[in-house]
Amino acid sequence: MPTRDKTELLHGSLDLIVLRTLSVQPMHGYAITQHVARLTDGVLSADPGSLYPALERLKRNGWITAKWQQSPTGRRARYYAISRSGLKQLGRETNEFERFVDAMRRVLRAT
Amino acid sequence: MPRDDRSPKRGLRARLMSRGPERDVDDEIEYHLQRRIAEYVAQGMDPAVARERAMHRFGHVPGVRAEAVRVERALARRERAGEFLGAAVRDARVAMRSIRKSPGFALTATICIALGVGVTTMILSAVDAILVKPLPYPNANQLVSVYAQDVPRGWHGVNISYKDYVSWRDDNRTLSALGMWTWSTTTITDGESERVAGAAVTANLFALLGVRPMLGRGFRPEEERLAASDVVLLSYGLWRRRYGGDSAIVGRTISMDGRPQLVAGVMPPGFNFPDRGQYWMPFATDGPAREGRDNRGYAGAIGRLRPGVTLEQAKADLARVSTQLQQEFPNENTGWSAEVMTLRHDLTGDLRQPMLVFLGAVAFVLLIACANVANLTLVRGLSRRREIAVRSALGAARGDLVRQLFTESLLIAGLGGVAGAVAGAFGVRLAHFAFPGGVPFYLDFGVDARALAASALVIVVTAVLCGVLPALRVTKLDVNRALRDERAATGGSGGRHMSGRSVLVVAELAISTVLMIGGALLVRSYRAYTHTDMGFDREGILTARVTLPDQGYNATERRIALYSDLEARVRAIPGVKLVGSAQGIPFSGWDVQATATFAGRPVPPPNEGFDSHFQVVFPDYFPAMGIPLVRGRPLLATDRDTLAPVAVVNETFARRAYPNEDPIGKRVKFAPPNDPAPWITIVGVVRDFRHYRLPQPMGPALYMPYAQSPGRTQTLVIRTGLTDPYVLVPSVRAALHEVDPKLAFYEVKTIDDAVSESLWRQRVQSRVLAVFAALALLLAAVGLYGLVSYSVLQRTREIGLRVALGAQRSDVLAMVYGQGGRLVVAGLAIGLALGALLSRTLGSLLYEIAPTDLASYALAGGVIAAIALGALYVPARRAVSVDPLRAMRIE
Repeated sequence: MPTRDKTELLHGSLDLIVLRTLSVQPMHGYAITQHVARLTDGVLSADPGSLYPALERLKRNGWITAKWQQSPTGRRARYYAISRSGLKQLGRETNEFERFVDAMRRVLRAT
Repeated sequence: MPRDDRSPKRGLRARLMSRGPERDVDDEIEYHLQRRIAEYVAQGMDPAVARERAMHRFGHVPGVRAEAVRVERALARRERAGEFLGAAVRDARVAMRSIRKSPGFALTATICIALGVGVTTMILSAVDAILVKPLPYPNANQLVSVYAQDVPRGWHGVNISYKDYVSWRDDNRTLSALGMWTWSTTTITDGESERVAGAAVTANLFALLGVRPMLGRGFRPEEERLAASDVVLLSYGLWRRRYGGDSAIVGRTISMDGRPQLVAGVMPPGFNFPDRGQYWMPFATDGPAREGRDNRGYAGAIGRLRPGVTLEQAKADLARVSTQLQQEFPNENTGWSAEVMTLRHDLTGDLRQPMLVFLGAVAFVLLIACANVANLTLVRGLSRRREIAVRSALGAARGDLVRQLFTESLLIAGLGGVAGAVAGAFGVRLAHFAFPGGVPFYLDFGVDARALAASALVIVVTAVLCGVLPALRVTKLDVNRALRDERAATGGSGGRHMSGRSVLVVAELAISTVLMIGGALLVRSYRAYTHTDMGFDREGILTARVTLPDQGYNATERRIALYSDLEARVRAIPGVKLVGSAQGIPFSGWDVQATATFAGRPVPPPNEGFDSHFQVVFPDYFPAMGIPLVRGRPLLATDRDTLAPVAVVNETFARRAYPNEDPIGKRVKFAPPNDPAPWITIVGVVRDFRHYRLPQPMGPALYMPYAQSPGRTQTLVIRTGLTDPYVLVPSVRAALHEVDPKLAFYEVKTIDDAVSESLWRQRVQSRVLAVFAALALLLAAVGLYGLVSYSVLQRTREIGLRVALGAQRSDVLAMVYGQGGRLVVAGLAIGLALGALLSRTLGSLLYEIAPTDLASYALAGGVIAAIALGALYVPARRAVSVDPLRAMRIE
């Protein structure tokens, strides 16, 4: 992956979060927001306004697949699942994010 | 592309569950909101408030929706395209593999399609160029040609007189303009003398055609007077070739026939009116022969219909004017009227029927090609039954199998189609060889979009017909049975399919018989043309025309001296036996007719006089051409007394003018009896010979010695003892330069070439149809061969069994020839009957051969039968050589 500017990095972190979440199990959009909110005690939130476009984008890249299914509540819900190439991408993005966090930490400590 | 587990099938199912991008996104957003609301309500919130909170928390719903829909759409599009492409590539790859496994089939089918498409493209392009594409003028469909016609005598397309033209031009109400033109030739005398052909045109002609000079200006009305007519327009080609494309030439003078001519302009490239013209002069309306309504010696008139006026209205309008003229000028105009036709009909009318015949023939060839491909594909489909059955049992969907077979056909059709289109494009170029002197400027031969589109359509139809129908039939078969039944591996049980294919082969044979009959009729007609007894010798005679300018040749003695001197010099060239001359040689199109008056007979009423062809000749013309004198004495060099002129006539003249009298000593003149012109005494009769282009028969003709009526144009007829008279051309030219370096020969050709050039249309017609017939026969033979050899292959075990049980070689042969022979006989019978019906459409293309000409039918039937038996020979050999032991072992 080429280096990214700040906004793209933010997008990227949302992608990372979604991929990581879906690597647990396939789920629909609402479940993803709930999952993220629960996991981070509400510090991070997958805002619907950016979540759904992000899901589309990931789908377009072939990293996740979408399938319509009956939800437990009986409604038609779109379930997202991570694909094989999505798993690979998750690995790459995790590495990159960790390098970024390391770097940030070093910078912050040095100050 | 993602390499995940999304197979096309899964993609398909996902797409089926989907309800379109908008609905999907709406549903998803609504689901999200509902879940959030449910959460809030569970916390004890009022449902209405909960919904509001949920909406608020979601953010800007329309924005999210729009963004998601956009991405969704792009995704769906790409997925569809990718799926389609992927599938197509996969199909093509599979198809290529299976084609490579049977290259014989693929090659044969490809060649069949290429031939079909090739000739179709070629003929469609030619038809387009000749009959469809507008002529290269703006609003060309408004242009009409106007000639004179004498309906009572059955004369059409006759040249016109200037006086009639003026009346038509001024008194009509349907034409916005009417111009006139006539042929013209001149010798450019600055630099090396060169004879060029062009036209004399009225000042309005090019304007009404809608063609403007590229450089300079057109003619002005005042230049239509003899005194002011020393201006010239050059063709683009002449300008480039002779004047190096120098635009400074405009406004300068060049020398033509020794006179200075002002170059008024240069016409645009590709304009060579009337067909291959290189220069144009104004038509001088006060010229010497412009008087005389009955002086119908000028090429013709071209008009433009007023907007909204139909051809029929213009015809009626000019008929009205003609009727008035007949009443006003009974002596000159009784029987005569204007003949109006579209300019296209005028230029290409005589090509219409052959083109339509070609069109029909090419449709037949294409039909046979398609039948062949269908047959080949059908056979191949049957022989692949087992493969298909296996694949079907392994779970291949019927749709997939059909699609794969369709792809194979499409691939072969595509290959053949492209090869055919390329071949057709080359074929169209052959048109340049078909026209003597090259394609006239107003025809544009080229593979155009319509011809290609038509060919492409043919390809698709071929692919669908030949690919899908057999594929559907193949996949309909019962999988279990096919797998169980060993014979199904080679399609043995398909009696119905066999008969279907037999019908195709019979049809192919029938159609090629029809084409062969057409070809035979035209070839025999052409033979009849070339074997017509012309009445003169065709071998070893060179001809060359020379026209004297006004400059230096106004005195008749000068002209007589020049031609006499020239003939003497040419006669002295080694290899030359005799030299004579006539104004125009046979088959050159030269035809001057005049009405004869007979001494001692009353003057006939107008339009009922005796019209005769009229030529001025040097005495040795007849011996040089090999035309014998049958009565009286020949013309002699001593016949010079212009007050007591003499003439010889042809047998037709003698017979018609003097049915029961001796023509020798009789007197005629081409003027009214009281005219001061002297009577011409007939001194001899020469044998009839063909002067007009076939099939026009010879009419009465009268020949006067040059010395008694010296004109400006003579065509030398040089009889040599050489097989190639053209070797004399340099010496003959040198002789002319010795007598006058400013003169140039033109229309230099042998008599044989003149005759053969005049028959170019008949020659092309017969050759094209013969080639089509041969192609059709070749294709049909391939079809027959394929069918019978396949059937022999199928019956290998049966044949082996029979041989083992004591069948003789002759029995096996009888079996194969019997099967094939039945098809051939059926095809021939149908073809001969159909040919008898269709040959009438050839009508006027035939010459001295009836549409029911038995020899042609016998020839066609014989050729078809011979080739068909030849096609059966290989499978018959194979059947005879079947080894019973090996055949029985094949399982």
